[in-house]
Amino acid sequence: MDPDFDETQLLLQTTTRRYLEGEVPFDRVREHEEKCRADQELWQAMAGQGWLGVALPEAVGGGGAGLVEAGILVHELARRAAVVPGVEVMASAVVLARHADVDQSALLRGIVDGEVVVVPALLEAGDDFAQVDAAVDAGGKLSAEKRFVDYPDFATHHLVSAHGPEGLGLYLIERGDAAIETEARSCTGRTPQADVRYRGASARRVAGESAIGRLLDIGRALTAAQILGSMEVSLEMTVEYTNLRVQFGQPLATFQAVQHHAADMCMHVESNRFLVYELLDSLERGTAGSADAALVKASVSRSVPFVTMQAHQLHGGQGLIEENDLYFFTIRGKDRSLAWGTAEECLAQVAEDVESPPRWL
Amino acid sequence: MDFRWPDEYLAFRDAVDAFIQEWRSPELAAEIQQREGAPGPLSRKYFAALQERGWMRMCWPADMGGEGRDPIYQFILVEAMEYWRMPYGNLTFTSIAPSIGQYGTEHQKQKYLPGIWNGELTFAIGYSEPNAGTDLAALRTKGEKVDGGWKVNGQKIWTSLAENSTHIWLATRTDPDAKKHAGISVLIVQTKAPGVTIRPLKTMSGLTTYETFYDDVFVPDEDVLPPLHGGWGIIMHALNHERVGLSPTSNLARNYDVVVAELQRNAPHKLADPVVRMRLAELRMELERHRALAIRNAVTISRGAIKPGEASMAKISGSELRYRMSNLLVDILGRVGGLARDDDRAVEKGLVQGNFLSSPILRFGGGTNEVQRSILATRHLGMTR
Repeated sequence: MDPDFDETQLLLQTTTRRYLEGEVPFDRVREHEEKCRADQELWQAMAGQGWLGVALPEAVGGGGAGLVEAGILVHELARRAAVVPGVEVMASAVVLARHADVDQSALLRGIVDGEVVVVPALLEAGDDFAQVDAAVDAGGKLSAEKRFVDYPDFATHHLVSAHGPEGLGLYLIERGDAAIETEARSCTGRTPQADVRYRGASARRVAGESAIGRLLDIGRALTAAQILGSMEVSLEMTVEYTNLRVQFGQPLATFQAVQHHAADMCMHVESNRFLVYELLDSLERGTAGSADAALVKASVSRSVPFVTMQAHQLHGGQGLIEENDLYFFTIRGKDRSLAWGTAEECLAQVAEDVESPPRWL
Repeated sequence: MDFRWPDEYLAFRDAVDAFIQEWRSPELAAEIQQREGAPGPLSRKYFAALQERGWMRMCWPADMGGEGRDPIYQFILVEAMEYWRMPYGNLTFTSIAPSIGQYGTEHQKQKYLPGIWNGELTFAIGYSEPNAGTDLAALRTKGEKVDGGWKVNGQKIWTSLAENSTHIWLATRTDPDAKKHAGISVLIVQTKAPGVTIRPLKTMSGLTTYETFYDDVFVPDEDVLPPLHGGWGIIMHALNHERVGLSPTSNLARNYDVVVAELQRNAPHKLADPVVRMRLAELRMELERHRALAIRNAVTISRGAIKPGEASMAKISGSELRYRMSNLLVDILGRVGGLARDDDRAVEKGLVQGNFLSSPILRFGGGTNEVQRSILATRHLGMTR
């Protein structure tokens, strides 16, 4: 039982953090947010640093590490509120590397280089990952309407859940296909998201039904790491602000009412930190399942509004204005709490098995 | 980073579990409840068997009669025992014995430790006073130097287990002229010593605590923990030792399991209700968060590091979840959930109802959660004091 990063992981965390703090000032994030466009330059830099393939096998040019390392990267990207599809691409890539029916090495090499960007398109009007109406016909043409696809226009490929002649599975679609239409949505998180219509787009089956489950598990675990990043920074900003802000002749941080709010925030951050990395580590080792991923996604999704709203309470008006960086974490955190299954959806999945004894070790 | 429990820990958990299943019986439970911790015929045999396993001091250094195992073993022992509410010496074991081991004279170690390990000697803790609760260093029970020892006068409150304990671990002001924290010593006082009066205070959960009065009680020099006037450090050390298993996840898990089993047996329609299932799912989520903080703290302690904030988080989270969880579980059971332990229809002898009523002590006891939150804010987060 070792809940701390090893030396390599620590090095990855510190170098990533240092790089992002230096190269991605928040004003640059603001620019991309305003245009609602992915940070192409950062994406290329990420490829250059070898980050995009961190969890992919060395045979395709990857780093040969696993989900914990991918988690560290998206955690750090979230601390910078970076406008890039880190979670979406890494989750897709890991599923394509480990659960595809046929070898995807060429595509994966492209992902590592940053030339190929694959994002999942899973959700439909039913707002339920299990409810898939999308269909691929015998000629390999996809008809579907997918909702809330992240970075659909920045992507070069979509990884779509659909029924085909061989049953439910995952299909790869090229974004360049003329039979695709996107309709941008204006979302809480201010990152690019859209509904996507596929009217006979060419689809290539890459994996069966079980891979959809793995994609959800990994997507939830990585999103949980992202949300953890949002919570963590709001807490750090709150400690810093209350230490500096003086009222009644003393720093706000000296008031017990203020301290106790921060203490509660801290407990949410630290309990979720353990759970998020435990999940990533256990998924990597094959000892965690979908119910575990759902539980952790539910937990961070419940915690992030609490933590960020307490941060706002302690920042007062300062925290609301967009010149202050706090809002990034509030809106990204809430937005990601909705993505990949809300707390309610995830808890409903946990509720399917309440009979098994909870673990205490 | 590796969240797996190594095999040797899992094997130890299984060994403790097997031991518990061998010894657990309604008769032993009844004896323990009746005697409130004092040894009886059954518990003597049980403690002898526990002692034989060596688990009571496995984490002690070899030169103190232990095996030098890391404190994670103690954490696992406490968790496993707490699931079934089996006695393991509790505070005497987790807190007093290590303090005697660390600070006691050779004479004190020989006099007290074997008796603690076989369950014959049990200690009540005499810290709080009517005017010294959270502000413990304000304590006024005083010891005056007399020939061959100390004459103690004063009053303690919340001296839980006093009536059925053999000794009281008494925080005493031995130097009235020193600064608040500097003039305190720890004295080991026999509960049967002349001048000790024990008065029961019944609490709403059905448990009894005690007030203890000290009128010219003589305590020989040999029963004063060294260093004289250095008791504050010993008290803090004892609190640190408590912290490895201070808020178990397992007894919360047991409450959950008891309620689910009861619903399966007698109210399957409730268990089929999606609203009930969502509530239970939320409790599982909260339990996981607590498990995370408890393990995090135990791992830090096992590495010999001191992070007061982590102990505070585990303490706050366990005690507050205990109240929320037992409250909700009683609600889910319905009227039968409100039955007290003396009612023959009570579920598992009123375990969950009892946990609800006894949950306040865990929140304000052992350092109130308000103090813990301030410790967390200032010492862990670095907020200005």
